[in-house]
Amino acid sequence: MTKKLENIFNECVERMLRGESIESCLKDYPKEADELRPLLITAVNIERRAHLVQPRPEFKGWARVRLEGAQIYARQQKQPRGNGFLVWRQGWALALTAVFVILFACAGTAAAASDALPDEPLYPIKLTTEQVRLAFTFSDTSKTKLHTRLIEKRSLEIAAMARQGKTEQVAVATERLVKQLEKASYMIGEVEQTEAKPLIAIPKTATAPELSAAPEPEAVPEPEKDEAEDTRQLKEFVEGSTSGNIAILESALEDTPEQTKPVLQRAIEISKQSYRETPQEVGDEDKAEPTIVNPEQVQPSPQK
Amino acid sequence: MSYLVSSEENLVRQAIGGDQLAFTQLYDNYYDRIYRYIYFRVRSQAEAEDLTQDVFIKALTAIGSYKWRNIPFASWLFRIAHNQVVDYLRKQAKEKMTSLEESTALSTNNPVTTTEQKLESEDLAIALQKLPSAQQEVISLRFIAGLPIAEVAKSLGKRQGTVKALQFNATASLRKIMLRE
Repeated sequence: MTKKLENIFNECVERMLRGESIESCLKDYPKEADELRPLLITAVNIERRAHLVQPRPEFKGWARVRLEGAQIYARQQKQPRGNGFLVWRQGWALALTAVFVILFACAGTAAAASDALPDEPLYPIKLTTEQVRLAFTFSDTSKTKLHTRLIEKRSLEIAAMARQGKTEQVAVATERLVKQLEKASYMIGEVEQTEAKPLIAIPKTATAPELSAAPEPEAVPEPEKDEAEDTRQLKEFVEGSTSGNIAILESALEDTPEQTKPVLQRAIEISKQSYRETPQEVGDEDKAEPTIVNPEQVQPSPQK
Repeated sequence: MSYLVSSEENLVRQAIGGDQLAFTQLYDNYYDRIYRYIYFRVRSQAEAEDLTQDVFIKALTAIGSYKWRNIPFASWLFRIAHNQVVDYLRKQAKEKMTSLEESTALSTNNPVTTTEQKLESEDLAIALQKLPSAQQEVISLRFIAGLPIAEVAKSLGKRQGTVKALQFNATASLRKIMLRE
């Protein structure tokens, strides 16, 4: 009996969702009508109340732009480099570029690429050079600082693209900014959790201004410091850099064409959100780890 | 209906093949429902927006490996949304967020405009929170997201009979809860 009632209830729900009235359905089930009527009214009520909630159209639009940027970015990552005979895998390209950078550390190509913008031919070399720098940066603190500097670079790139009215490039660059922020947030979480370890040799990371040339990795032992002082200085560094990035992006708004302003505004909001979340968590033991979006955790496992 | 299903199937196949416009169309088709589903689970407009965005980014990343035959697209998408919500709620539990009642009182980012409507939607959200999680899921997918019973079952990995029973019991429980308040 119970089972039958559930089936009748479900059938009436489906008929109501298709536009039929409650009474029209209950006419077919007079014996169960009194018991089902209040439940069907509740079901209608739930659906009506749920539809009172509407998403913000502006956020929906911004998320759409970000999604389109992510699609373009993903398509660019998949494109083979070189001609049909030379389709390099990313690992080989990275290794080959790493050798190139080490052997010709101060070469003009890497230096010239350091100022490249996203729509310029040398930009992929700039990104790969950054990956090499990261590969030769070992401590969590140094990695965090380097990620923070890379965020500055992304912000400068976004501002430059926005001023030129290149909406699509701004969306793609914003996607890179998001990934960079995620990596920085992750590293800050690692710094929080990692205890002070004796350091054998730490390559000296670049301290030049934002658009600098590739570094010369050299073994420089870090002096012993108080861990809390390290964390405080790192926090100040990240905070200062993040507020500077917001200023860079906001200053570009005036010169940005109208059609490009929404995507630039989205980049500003993303930077402001990271400013609210990321610096406050450095050195604060009570805060949880920042949320990490892991693209690999995408296939949900079936619930049993 | 079969035309609409086949039309969406074509759209999904194009999106799997890398068609940007097709995926964006799917985004437009499902955004509101995903948002609404998430909003009633997390009860924060800002969080619901971010999580909704994350759902589509994850779907974009994974759509290359999605196969229409195994599970309907809507069920697949809402499963991603469900996992996002679960991860978020676990994180909130760790952070020992404010209680349900305090969240209601302090909420200023409610996407419903009029006061009466705001109260109605919040009453529903509060009542939903009082259900067992399995019943919450069924109500959320069935009445808030608007999925057919078969797709709800696929999304949750349960049999249709089980979902119908959950639907019936959850509605009865909700009725009692909302009448009391």
